[in-house]
Amino acid sequence: MGVLSAHVIGEIRALPAQFPEVRSAVMPALDLAQEELGYLTPEAMSEVAEALNLDPGYVEGVATFYTLFHTEPIGKHRLYLCTNISCKLRGADALLEHAMQTVGVRDQGQVSSDGLFSVEAVECLGACEYAPMMRLDHAYHYDLTPEKIDSLIAERKRPLPAAAQAAKAAAGEDQPPPRVAKPRAARKKKADA
Amino acid sequence: MPELRGTTRGPVLTRWFGTENLHRIDVYERLGGYAAARKALTTMTHDQIVQEIKDSGLRGRGGADFSTGVKWSLMPKESPVPMYLVVNADESEPGSAKDRYLMENSPHMLLEGICIAAYAIRSHQAWIYIRGEYDLPFARLTEAISEMRAKGYVGDRPFDSDWPLDIRIFRGHGAYICGEEGALLESLEGKRAQPRAWKPPYPAQKGAWGRPTTVNNVETISTVPFIVGEGAAAYAKFGTEKAKGTRMFTVSGNVQRPGNYEMEIGKPYRELIEGMAGGPPPGRKIKAWWPGGSSSPVMPGDLLDVTTDLDGVKDLANLKGHPVPPVNAGGRAFATMGGSGGVIVMDDRFCAVEAAHRLLQFYAHESCGKCTPCRVGGNWAVRTYERILSGEGGAQDIAILEQVYAALQSGRCLCGLGDAAGWVIASSLTHFRSEYEEHALRNECSAKQAAAHA
Repeated sequence: MGVLSAHVIGEIRALPAQFPEVRSAVMPALDLAQEELGYLTPEAMSEVAEALNLDPGYVEGVATFYTLFHTEPIGKHRLYLCTNISCKLRGADALLEHAMQTVGVRDQGQVSSDGLFSVEAVECLGACEYAPMMRLDHAYHYDLTPEKIDSLIAERKRPLPAAAQAAKAAAGEDQPPPRVAKPRAARKKKADA
Repeated sequence: MPELRGTTRGPVLTRWFGTENLHRIDVYERLGGYAAARKALTTMTHDQIVQEIKDSGLRGRGGADFSTGVKWSLMPKESPVPMYLVVNADESEPGSAKDRYLMENSPHMLLEGICIAAYAIRSHQAWIYIRGEYDLPFARLTEAISEMRAKGYVGDRPFDSDWPLDIRIFRGHGAYICGEEGALLESLEGKRAQPRAWKPPYPAQKGAWGRPTTVNNVETISTVPFIVGEGAAAYAKFGTEKAKGTRMFTVSGNVQRPGNYEMEIGKPYRELIEGMAGGPPPGRKIKAWWPGGSSSPVMPGDLLDVTTDLDGVKDLANLKGHPVPPVNAGGRAFATMGGSGGVIVMDDRFCAVEAAHRLLQFYAHESCGKCTPCRVGGNWAVRTYERILSGEGGAQDIAILEQVYAALQSGRCLCGLGDAAGWVIASSLTHFRSEYEEHALRNECSAKQAAAHA
């Protein structure tokens, strides 16, 4: 029994038909795996490799090259704040600090104790006329201020309405334990000297 | 949909911008959309279209400024294997957002351009390589392609022609290097995105999956429907004697109205920065600006009268007495360049050394690691900047930066990323040398001091 569901494995096996060569299916396949698991574990990468009939080392080599693949746990909601020059000139550095403080993480890539958030400084996201900006939950958020960041975060940790909470308690459900992540280096380096 | 910031009702690319629901096929067609594609596929030969594009003077808007018609004519006229059109929608140059603006507001303009371009180069299959972070443009294009399919504009007989056509989207996953043609093709093939070895072979000979391929930027292809629809002369009436047409600029940073502006080529940057974008905030002065994304050598704030013509902008005479930065492209000295049109403006509250440090972090992070000067030089420069900015620098650190920028340039790397990192250091150090010396020798920052007293 693998870490990826049979359904996802099926979808991955269907991908190569869209391309002239099977390797082109690696990134869409890793997307499906990451979508299901939150991040790419070694087992998940091996299963992707097996489903596509490729070498696991090859698949891992692709996964570790691209910024949007995560090989370590990340928050359910990822705040990708642009800190490149156009956003920096409009206050991005202070906003990054603010976002990290608000979700309660010390390092970039660290997951907040409730498992909900991680914050990363990223390179230009191509929406410079709206600087400072960030990407959160597959959408861009523009003209950021500390208040805007606060409310985007608050919306995502709003407790369930009282009735739903009572029903949950009655059913004996508990909050899942927070995911613990190792703090890692501030910037993901693809090419260290 | 966020508020539109930029040109609406412009001369060419943005002529229909501001129309409600322009991204819908019925709205786009009501305005005249897809007439050019219909005309091309049903009444024109492949070579007639290529000639029309050559005559228009259109050049690649991704930054290379190479004649689009000539590029298309390099494709084989017969091929035993499939040939491809690949649209570079990996826009990642810091300060450049114009392709996003075009795709999310008028996806059908790009798709119509793809129909025409693919037919012109005798291809039945087009790929759009779009950066992974572009969620809205991806959604808009996906939706637009299904609208096309419903009308039969892609499929077996687009526009009742006998030229089958298919358009697919491939999402990138966060790597600046994928904007480089060879790296983009590697990525499309499912590999780590590293530039390919020296050309030739060019993509027209061996491109995606080893087959003949033309790679064009989003803006370039989006211009094609206008040229084919209105005629090459209608397009060539804009611009200068040598540099034809209009182009998109993204103006960002310390200006009052940041946005994506369409402007006739050849007008001065002043018109764009002070006119269209409203100039710096009240009471501030422009200290530095980058004409074409962070990779273009930085310019001092008093040189806004430089022309937007991509040949003219390189002219050393543009520097008007300012020292000439030791930058070269293919061994040739130049003042700066127009690149992808991402104009970044920095006012006098900001430190030039800090800005260069931030940009070097970018180039170090985005180096794919294939060529040693770029892999090593970027990180070396970042560490040197860190020493200078933390007050632990000295004269030797400025000397190190000089060595690094020389080692990064002159075609020592397979792609332009290494050169660009060298240009950032060389131009910043030339035009703002006194600030480097303040930091390195005296641990002072006049920009910060001035900002504190403002």
